[in-house]
Amino acid sequence: MKPSEIKKLIIGSMDEKTDPGEIARLLDDQGVSYDFRKGFAEKVTDRLFGAALTLSRDVEFTKNLNYVLYRIAITGVAAIVVLMLSIFFIQDSFSFNSFLGLGDSYDESIVYLLTGN
Amino acid sequence: MKESYKLAGDDELVKASLNGDKLAFGEIVNRYRRMVARTVKGMLGDSVYAEDIGQEVFVNLYNALSGFRGEAKLSTYIQRIAVNLTLNEIKRRKRFFSMFSYKGDNEIREYEIADPENEERREAKEIVNKALMSLNPKFRIIVAMRLLQGYSTKETAEILDLPVGTVLSRLSRAQNQLKEKLGKL
Repeated sequence: MKPSEIKKLIIGSMDEKTDPGEIARLLDDQGVSYDFRKGFAEKVTDRLFGAALTLSRDVEFTKNLNYVLYRIAITGVAAIVVLMLSIFFIQDSFSFNSFLGLGDSYDESIVYLLTGN
Repeated sequence: MKESYKLAGDDELVKASLNGDKLAFGEIVNRYRRMVARTVKGMLGDSVYAEDIGQEVFVNLYNALSGFRGEAKLSTYIQRIAVNLTLNEIKRRKRFFSMFSYKGDNEIREYEIADPENEERREAKEIVNKALMSLNPKFRIIVAMRLLQGYSTKETAEILDLPVGTVLSRLSRAQNQLKEKLGKL
């Protein structure tokens, strides 16, 4: 289509009686078409769902942290149980003094230790 | 989750997208990208900004999907977002360039490699772009809706939320302006 015909088409398209759909199709056939660059849809979805990915990474990190802390807690409880058993076997008692390592001491010796008299 | 949504209807795509289905929303983008490109690039020119605004249109659409009641067609809903964002960008740019008293063409055009085989097609596109750019944005949007999207006066009025009479009068004024301006091209 010659430039003069394109110009005529543009001006004529604004008449109420013309079929705008037909004009748009004609222009499209003449190369008047628009599109975004290649990879446009991927860019959009990455922008939107990339945020979700970051969020899921955060959730994953928290899960891993919980797992590690759980293992540490289990190990800690096991250590406490072993310590309590060893105290019981050594001192034959579960008293508070046994835990403080004072199971075999007399009251006087404690006073002496604390006051020096 | 489906592997392909090519045959799915808009309603199905919206529902799946609301459930976070990336493929479904990707199909919406692919289905309406050219329609959005016609509005955005028709109004802003084939510029790098137009690509960004195009992305913004779909990001805004995704964020507003929960509010989509299906009363209007999805295409109309998207078109409204595209028109609003494009007009906002024109206003923003006008303010920015007026700060520097810059009167020149503020479009940053992409570098195009000349292709002799497509010279006629390139020329046709250039004439349409120049015609659109020569118009004030409030006339330009109406001409773009008609010329590039092929919308009727009623559809244009619905998308732009204007009375049909206003659309008709603006079309008539745009036609008069174009008669004068295209003669100089």
